[in-house]
Amino acid sequence: MKKKLSEMKYEETGVIKSIGSDLRAQVAGMGIREGKEVKMMSKQPLKGPVVIMVDRSNASIGRGLANKIMVEMKDG
Amino acid sequence: MELTIDQRWDLVDRITKETVEVGAYKHTLKDAIADITVRPKTGIPFAIAVIYGFWMFFSTFAGFFTDGFLVKVFGDHYIPWLGSVFPGKGTWLFNIFAGNPAVFQPGYAGDICFEAGGVLTTGLFMPIAVVLPAIIAFYLVMAFLEDIGYLPRLAVLIDTVLHKIGLHGYAIVPTILSLGCNVPGVAATRALETRKQRFMMMVLLGVFVPCGAQIGMMQELIPEKIGFVFIALIIGYFVVGYILNKIWPGQSPEMLIDVPPYRMPTRGNVWRKTWMRTTSFLRVAVPFMLLGCVIVQLLYLTGGMAHLGHALSPVISGGFGLPQETVAPLVAGFLRKDLAVGLLGGIQLTGWQMFSSVVLLSVYFPCLATFVLMIKEQNAKEFGATLGVLAVTVFAYGGILRLIGMGLGVA
Amino acid sequence: MDKILLMGQANVGKSALFNRLTGARVIESNYPGTTVDYEKGRMLVDGEYVELVDVPGTFSLEPKDGAEEVAVRMLEEEKRATVICVLDASKIERGLYLVLEILERGYPVVVALNMWDVARDSKVKIDAKRLEQILGVPVVPTVAVQGEGIKQLVSRISEAAPVKVAGVIKRTGGEKWNSLLTRDGT
Repeated sequence: MKKKLSEMKYEETGVIKSIGSDLRAQVAGMGIREGKEVKMMSKQPLKGPVVIMVDRSNASIGRGLANKIMVEMKDG
Repeated sequence: MELTIDQRWDLVDRITKETVEVGAYKHTLKDAIADITVRPKTGIPFAIAVIYGFWMFFSTFAGFFTDGFLVKVFGDHYIPWLGSVFPGKGTWLFNIFAGNPAVFQPGYAGDICFEAGGVLTTGLFMPIAVVLPAIIAFYLVMAFLEDIGYLPRLAVLIDTVLHKIGLHGYAIVPTILSLGCNVPGVAATRALETRKQRFMMMVLLGVFVPCGAQIGMMQELIPEKIGFVFIALIIGYFVVGYILNKIWPGQSPEMLIDVPPYRMPTRGNVWRKTWMRTTSFLRVAVPFMLLGCVIVQLLYLTGGMAHLGHALSPVISGGFGLPQETVAPLVAGFLRKDLAVGLLGGIQLTGWQMFSSVVLLSVYFPCLATFVLMIKEQNAKEFGATLGVLAVTVFAYGGILRLIGMGLGVA
Repeated sequence: MDKILLMGQANVGKSALFNRLTGARVIESNYPGTTVDYEKGRMLVDGEYVELVDVPGTFSLEPKDGAEEVAVRMLEEEKRATVICVLDASKIERGLYLVLEILERGYPVVVALNMWDVARDSKVKIDAKRLEQILGVPVVPTVAVQGEGIKQLVSRISEAAPVKVAGVIKRTGGEKWNSLLTRDGT
């Protein structure tokens, strides 16, 4: 099942499927890219930013940017 | 040859496949703390505790050295001694360097440290005895929080609020830096992404964020009112930020930052940063402080201050309900806010007048060093807008504070 | 040697390494820690003093904020500089991404695999020798906060020379290296 990164729930894990083209170059250096496993670490209230973990590194991403990243969720 | 993003990552994967082995990762205590401090339910109370701790350390450290030690050194020994040995009592030279001769009379009841006003007395007392301990305390905690890796987490937690006024959570870093000194705070706005964010941040810092030197002076003079001063300024920060975000053109991109693991700070690095920042601060502040003392004394001696006070009394007294004498701190405020607050200490004011004067001093003009930097960093349109915001803010605050004061029956 | 730029992503211990290399004798500073700061110092390389510039942290050469813009501009202005690229060894993948970007632009590079101890503790094992063979530039494990590996790093700066990325691809050994070179990758 695919969904937006911003829709992932706390502590859910998935695999990054696609990243909006305007965002790809910006997040590439942080190690965020297609095929990587991503875990939701924290979601701030009131459409605040999310904190995700990729490759043992945490990054904080605004909710609007997180809308541009699609994630394939593990089944079950 | 330059690769595309995908090609580069392919190559990284090829290299790491040959050279890197990753074992199973064990969740550590540090990771658990990292999680707790960035999750809203636990992180926000933690952040409040950190800020409270910051303040407690700041006020205790500064109070210990200032009140416990340096005020006595200056008030009981150095300033009376200087007054007794400095030649030419009654001359202009004496007034400028030692200060108002009245305070050196035996049995003088006032606060000699603030009321003398000379370059070598009050002019040295303020930077060394009051401001220096405050600044060192501030930069120590700042360096510690930076090195341990807490600031990005604070940025994440506060982004929700700051994004509503068009700023990043990361705007908290220039804001905190400005609480030490506005000059590096304004310089740090270069790290923000867009012209709009940089402009907004500079205005908010210059107008609403008091520097550590000023906070130190406020803590010394009006410790019981300082909380209300902060509330008045925080409200302005968000109201003006909200309005600027609505009317100023430009982009407000969202936050995208790395959140590093916590790390033990090294003592050397913390000390080095504190030392470098403190010395940078002193280089910016002390010359202006001494110059300010000279100018204020000269204006008194030439009668210029009385003229200014008279000319501005429709605004100061009529508009803001403050005595004419506050014109001296207002003049000094162009140079240094800490000096200006210090001069208030030498004037008879009611509690409410003191409170409104301090708030007005905070918002009415950034100190000269900050102002010069803002001229350098802004274009003509932005600078004009900055002046506009300054003017509107001062009159709005002056009027509103007067109304509240009248409502409370204290003004 | 013209100038040495100290580059790396944020939070890799770059400033600790800067302190070790210069002995904390800073000659110019622009408010450290304000994220757009840079510092200049001098370090001794083969008996000669060379200027060392601590460039603001940047994740890639595609700047995503003001501080990263400053970093990229500093690199572009110093065409003849040697770059010490500092990596967090425990996050080597994204560090290598930056290393490759700098190599692609033709700069001579020395790689400092910093926070070697953190990598070891978090079970990341790196074959630094093999990495050096593949990249074709010196790779030195360091623990800047403890001062480990600093001497070796300094002694190998003079070995830094520009390398061809095509060569790096070839040395990774996969027979598909041709496809990597020709693929468009969108």
